[in-house]
Parts: sequence; C-alpha cells; structure tokens
Amino acid sequence: MSEQIEKAFQKQQGIFQNTKVTGKKSVKNNRWYKEVGLGFKTPKEAIEGHYIDKKCPFTGDVSIRGRILTGEIISTKMKRTIIIRREYLHFISKYNRYEKRHKNLAAHISPCFIGVQQGDS
Amino acid sequence: MGISRDSRHKRNATGAKRAQYRKKRKFELGRQAANTKLGAKRIHEVRTRGGNRKFRAMRLDSGNFSWGSEAISRKARIVAVVYNASNNELVRTGTLVKNAIVQVDATPFRQWYESHYAVPIGARKGKGAVKTESEEVSKARSNHVQRKIESRKAEAKVDPALDHQFAAGRLYACISSRPGQSGRADGYILEGHELAFYIRKLKK
Repeated sequence: MSEQIEKAFQKQQGIFQNTKVTGKKSVKNNRWYKEVGLGFKTPKEAIEGHYIDKKCPFTGDVSIRGRILTGEIISTKMKRTIIIRREYLHFISKYNRYEKRHKNLAAHISPCFIGVQQGDS
Repeated sequence: MGISRDSRHKRNATGAKRAQYRKKRKFELGRQAANTKLGAKRIHEVRTRGGNRKFRAMRLDSGNFSWGSEAISRKARIVAVVYNASNNELVRTGTLVKNAIVQVDATPFRQWYESHYAVPIGARKGKGAVKTESEEVSKARSNHVQRKIESRKAEAKVDPALDHQFAAGRLYACISSRPGQSGRADGYILEGHELAFYIRKLKK
C-alpha cells in the first residue's frame, strides 16, 4: 500500500476493486491500462505496477492527441513532472543567417518511466 | 449574485494587469455553494442555463447506497459524517459532499443479507446469552426458496471488517454523487483496501 500517500484513497476511476473472491480466481493486480496509439508501446511497468496516476497516458484519464514534441530533459526535480528544452534555429532574412533560440516546456512524466535523468531525450 | 467565474479580473500569464472592458456576463455566473448538512430533507430547485434544472440539496438525511461486492443497493439513513480528505471543517459541521466518508444505518443491508442467505450477520460475540435468531433467518420457507438458499451458501462469507460494522449497526460508506448538483447523497459501502485505508485514517 505504499502508493497511498494522499489523504483520500487513490485508485483507478472506474474499476471495481472489491469483487468477491470465490476461491478459484487468484488475487491479481486488478489494473486497467490502455494502448495509446501512434506506435507507442505501453511499458511493462505501466501494466504490472501499482502506482495510481490519473494523468498517466497508459493508466489514467487522458488521451494523446495533437502534436508529438521532442526535447532534451534538463530537470527532473519536480514531483511527476520534468522540464524539457527544445532548441531551434530562427531565420533572420536581413542577414540571411540563423540564430539559436530555445523554449522550455514542463511535461508530466508517468511513474512507469523509472530511471529518467537529465540529458535524456 | 456577485460570484462570477470569468478570468478577466485576473492578471495575464505575463503578469500584466488587465483593464476592465466589459461588465459581468450571465454565462460567467457562479452560485452560492450548497453545503448540504444532515437533517430533514430540504431541496431547492435552481433554473440553469438552457432552462434545465439542478437540485440544490440544503439538508439530506438518507441516500441510496450500494454494496458493491453483493451488487445491491438500498436506501439507507445517513447517520454522521466521519472523514473528509479535503477539509476537517466539513467533518466538524457535518457537510455532505462527494467523496465524504459517512456512517450509514446498516439495517436495510442486514435485512437483505439475512433474507438472501438465511445466515445471521454481525452476531455479537461474548456478550453473555446467545442472541435469538432474527425473524428473517428462521422463518419458514417454501421448498423452492430453500433450495435457492442452499445453492448460495458458498458465497455467503463476509469480510470480518464488515462484520464488525454490522454488529455495531453502522457501515462506513463513501458519497459518490454531488448533493449540491443532483440533490441526492448516493454512494457505495467501503470494502477491502479502501475500508482499511479509511479506518486507519480515522484511528489517528
């Protein structure tokens, strides 16, 4: 029960946890997960893990739609969120040259991704 | 009313102060909170956008609670508000909100169980004389009904934590409806891990 840190009981919305155990079925991890699409594989940790995260794309209540962005992780110090940095070149037409610019973006990271560090892509 | 839900009175994302350029609109309105308490039923009807209605429950005393693992629901009297994860003040004043943990009268569920399984539940142990079996358990039954009861015997076992609550006559339940919106306090009886979690919270 180590994931029940908050004051209210954390559970996945919509799955009923207390069906009667009639002796034949073993007590398994009664967990709901989904496939996100776009070629992303749902990690094993998402299926077998015990975390509850309503904002996880695999085990929570969000859908992946719109653009897919990539960047480099510069900070993982927040709880369940990371900051990524996206670099790009901006064209100045007067001088026919480019300049470097960057934008930081805060993104949610699901607990199923373990071992994420600064510098990962 | 005075309560509005617009963002125009707040600062920009850049921190700039926004000038006011129009009055409050009706579609931005907000209403007073219901803060439904325990008591004799009192429900006010509210006309909402589009001509639809919301039922603002000001006072409620009962709700439709479901016993999930047995898949039945019964109307039960709400006795007391016992825990609220958001605010202890709401427990002290006895306010019914969604996801509040309440104590619910156990008799409708006890009656259903004893007539469905013909087994007494919540028997008090060690209190001297053995309690006589209730009328539900020991009444005469037709042959057909008797056979049905025999076939249900295997599934009649109840979690000891729930059994304690039946002995006390009160069950812990969680409210899963929004009384200020629908006018009802419906919910489900806590079982298993959830029950253990909340009992631990209550003990502290």
